[in-house]
Amino acid sequence: MASARTRRGVLSGTVAVILVLVIIIASGGVLSGIKAAGRAVVAPFAWVLTEVTRPIGNAFAGAFNYSDVVAQNRQLRAELGRAEMQGNESSAMLQQLQEVTTLQNLPFVGSIRVVTAQVTTNSPTNFSASFTIARGSDDGLLTGMPVVGNGGLIGRVVAVSAHSATVLMITDATAITGATFGNGHTDVLINGRGVDENVVATAVPLSSPITPGTVFTTSGLSGGLYPPGIPVATVHTVLLTPGASTYDFSLTPTADLHHLGYVDVMLWEPGT
Amino acid sequence: MTRGLVALVICTVMLVAVQITIISPLRIAGVVVMLVWLWPVSLALTGRTVVSVGAGFVTGLLFDTHSLTPFGLTGVVGVLLALAAAQLGREGVGDLDAAAWWVTPALASAAGFSAPLIFIILGFLTGHTTLWRGNLGVMMVVNAVAFFVLARPLTRLAQRVAESGGWSRT
Repeated sequence: MASARTRRGVLSGTVAVILVLVIIIASGGVLSGIKAAGRAVVAPFAWVLTEVTRPIGNAFAGAFNYSDVVAQNRQLRAELGRAEMQGNESSAMLQQLQEVTTLQNLPFVGSIRVVTAQVTTNSPTNFSASFTIARGSDDGLLTGMPVVGNGGLIGRVVAVSAHSATVLMITDATAITGATFGNGHTDVLINGRGVDENVVATAVPLSSPITPGTVFTTSGLSGGLYPPGIPVATVHTVLLTPGASTYDFSLTPTADLHHLGYVDVMLWEPGT
Repeated sequence: MTRGLVALVICTVMLVAVQITIISPLRIAGVVVMLVWLWPVSLALTGRTVVSVGAGFVTGLLFDTHSLTPFGLTGVVGVLLALAAAQLGREGVGDLDAAAWWVTPALASAAGFSAPLIFIILGFLTGHTTLWRGNLGVMMVVNAVAFFVLARPLTRLAQRVAESGGWSRT
């Protein structure tokens, strides 16, 4: 009897595994409804836990009004990030502007409206670099919109509900960002390597002079995911293989991705 | 039976909520401890195969609704871990009261060590080749240590849930 039950258990488990594998292979956006339902099931429990644990956390630091300081610090960090981004934009864009903007009608990042959003949860897993923000379609957010702050490009919106959105960071292993540097004549693809990892650019022609500290900005090519001129990353390490005609770079994101309190979502759609 | 099922569902959803709101933000050495994988292992070590497999599947699916990783992959890993642990649980190997104190934590630790690797391998087999991480070793070690520490309390909870359901060891 027991062995029959065991067989049934193993069989049902195997069937479940096969079913899920089929779902995984076939997935491609059709599961958004299931995901929304799953979130809805967990949300009340998560809300209760957050409400219970937040006062406990605050109690430990309450004597020094620590939570207020943290909140102010987050606000200031966000403001500082915006200032840094403007600074980076200025230095990186200066060269391009001198040569290009007089000839072409490029949309300037500063003219794009933004929605400021609070980061609610960071990526729950080791395998994706993402976070959730407390703004959604009700605030005008759409899938694909760029997210900036803390000194540069952070990522883009990949899922939107009425009151929240999920942002895929540029460091995610599936993220690819079109970028340029210097005079804007060389376009490269910047690939993510995972949470807390630097991003990389590969196969850059040797004819393009680059030194550590060079700022890469979004290229804004037609049909691209981002508008031009957003600082993406600075050169950290140049990797040159002897005899090769190209070199690779390890790049540090210009945005401080470790301290995300507030971010700005640019109301810009890819392809516009 | 119904009472046990309700307890199982509540515990499962609550554990996912704990994972999302408390455990995931508390990264240890940059690594997230996957409590959602320890839960099916704990249930399986009580010897309830079907219950642990079902719980592993649902826990993983619920977790995946909050993640950008391939939908269902966490659930599949939970199912596989439950199936493996249940082989031992049915024999009473992971019994909290009968076995030595370290046996349950050690088994859970082995599950925690192998789970991230299983996740990556399954992802690769389903065409998701970008799941590989340079810090996989750290991931495995951190989860192994965390599972070792958390195994006894969580298995005790699993035992209570299983007993309230009146499910026999199968």
